[in-house]
Amino acid sequence: MRSRESLLRSLSFVALLLFATAPLLMLIVTSLSRGWFYPAVLPPSLDASGWRDLVNDPARRVALTNSLLLGVGTAIVATLLALPLGRAAALSTRAVRRTVALLAFAAVALPPVALGVGLQLSVLSLGLGGTLMGVFLAHMVPALGYLTLVFLGVFTRWDTRLEEAAATLGADGVMRWRLVLLPLLRRPIADAMALGFLVSWAQVALTLLVGGGAVRTLPLEVLAMLQAGQDQHAATGALALAIPALLVLAVSRTAARDTAAVAA
Amino acid sequence: MSATLDVHDLGVLFGDRIGLPSLSLTVQGGDCLAVLGASGSGKSSLLRTLAGLQAAASGRIAVNGRDVTMLEPEQRGIVYLHQEPVLFPQLSVMENVAFPLVIRRIAKSEAQRRALEMLARLQVDGVATHRAGALSGGQRHRVALARALCADPAVLLLDEPLSSLDPGVRGDVREALLAARAASGAATILVTHDLDDCMAVATHITTIGAGGALSAPATPSALLLAPPMLEVAQLLGVYATLYGVVEMHGSAAMFRWIGGVIAAADATPGASVACVRSHELAVHVGDQLQAPVLTVTARRDAAHEVLLDVRDLSGAMATVRTFSGTPVQVGERVQVVVHHARIFPGH
Repeated sequence: MRSRESLLRSLSFVALLLFATAPLLMLIVTSLSRGWFYPAVLPPSLDASGWRDLVNDPARRVALTNSLLLGVGTAIVATLLALPLGRAAALSTRAVRRTVALLAFAAVALPPVALGVGLQLSVLSLGLGGTLMGVFLAHMVPALGYLTLVFLGVFTRWDTRLEEAAATLGADGVMRWRLVLLPLLRRPIADAMALGFLVSWAQVALTLLVGGGAVRTLPLEVLAMLQAGQDQHAATGALALAIPALLVLAVSRTAARDTAAVAA
Repeated sequence: MSATLDVHDLGVLFGDRIGLPSLSLTVQGGDCLAVLGASGSGKSSLLRTLAGLQAAASGRIAVNGRDVTMLEPEQRGIVYLHQEPVLFPQLSVMENVAFPLVIRRIAKSEAQRRALEMLARLQVDGVATHRAGALSGGQRHRVALARALCADPAVLLLDEPLSSLDPGVRGDVREALLAARAASGAATILVTHDLDDCMAVATHITTIGAGGALSAPATPSALLLAPPMLEVAQLLGVYATLYGVVEMHGSAAMFRWIGGVIAAADATPGASVACVRSHELAVHVGDQLQAPVLTVTARRDAAHEVLLDVRDLSGAMATVRTFSGTPVQVGERVQVVVHHARIFPGH
């Protein structure tokens, strides 16, 4: 009985490992090989031209830069907006809290195409259709939704007595934020910024609909390369998409480890 | 000369409604006023209003003559200590205690020196480098007190600091509170529902009644000797309440209950209640005295006294408190002699 459970556990672990790593391994090998086709078991030769082209090709460089700008911008601005919004909602009445949660969830749960069409019309009316700013505003919608839910959760469990104690000890609002709140919020802020970056970094539908093809980002380039049968380049682009995601995850985990405690 | 804390006609909110309509009190620097009240009577709300953590419905709060009613908490010179000590978890004990000094822009070395001095005064300098989360309950209280004193408050508000502690730690924290009082010239308010805490720490006691009114402050011993009203006496929780009636015997008023009669000078005739402490009566086994004989129907042993339920021949019942060494057992016939009682009108 016990050995059967153990075997099942081992098999589950191997399956999980395969599902998690097999696509990544496939991408790595494909990005470094040229002319590798079925039924060849191994690539005939290794070649790093996919990586060289990603950096040197002007169109791909622009796409990479756009993706980074959009990701970092979305992470920062969405965090700056979602933190006070989530906090205000969490400390407000139940009705306000539920309304904010519902709106935030709607931004996250709506199908990207439906959201994209609505956003496209809004962005066009602002004269920002096909611009980086328009795409940034579009990325902000789901990012703000996700991050508001994150901070709503954080501040719903927040111990407000910490701020009360600081206040009666003589700390004004700015000092309370600087000395009490922000140090304790390092982990949730790191998590939120990572999430905001990744929401934008992986965005395809909203970029395509609002950017109208004029704003190129890395995911759009990868799709285009895949459609054109450029497997090596597509794999390289896909890996380039995955690397920041893994890095952001690692940085966010380090920040979490350095954080002494989250008041709850 | 104005008192350090002067509260006049203060309305305290319980959520959206006014819970305590009109409170007035004064506390001089160095004094500690204990506010005794039942759970839910608004003690904590009173402190939070004084500290500025919740708005006052009406009235005026003055600290050293300065009206602080509309000021932010950080501008009042009033430090509020929560029931559970709230230490900043990301800081060490030393940094916690130096916090009020750092925000007053005192140089780091000087802030640390003063923080260490305060920790030593409260006998927790040995944990100065520890994280707040690594402290025991008593240490957390001492550190929170040290931090409060470093803020040099004009008024110190203590919200039931002893209620959640086990007896060993409780004694430890009581000592810390006394040390804090000695180290500070602050006017202190301690809210509690425990008379022993009041007796140990406070210079004066007031009580919050059911109507939300404060009784006149009195020293702990004066209050125990002569509580101003039945409600206060019941709140103190140390008296047996004997129900009976005050009758006039000539010009002398006498309180009659199932155990006999007690002199009741100045009492008003009618239904009344006598409040008697355990050392103010004697329970005699047998029927040799000139007093009604009662039967003991139940005995409940407490830490320092024994509660005896007694019944007379008609079936009327009363509960008396007596010393813990009493040999009286259930079923025995006894006579109760009351040496001293406080008589209040009531049913």
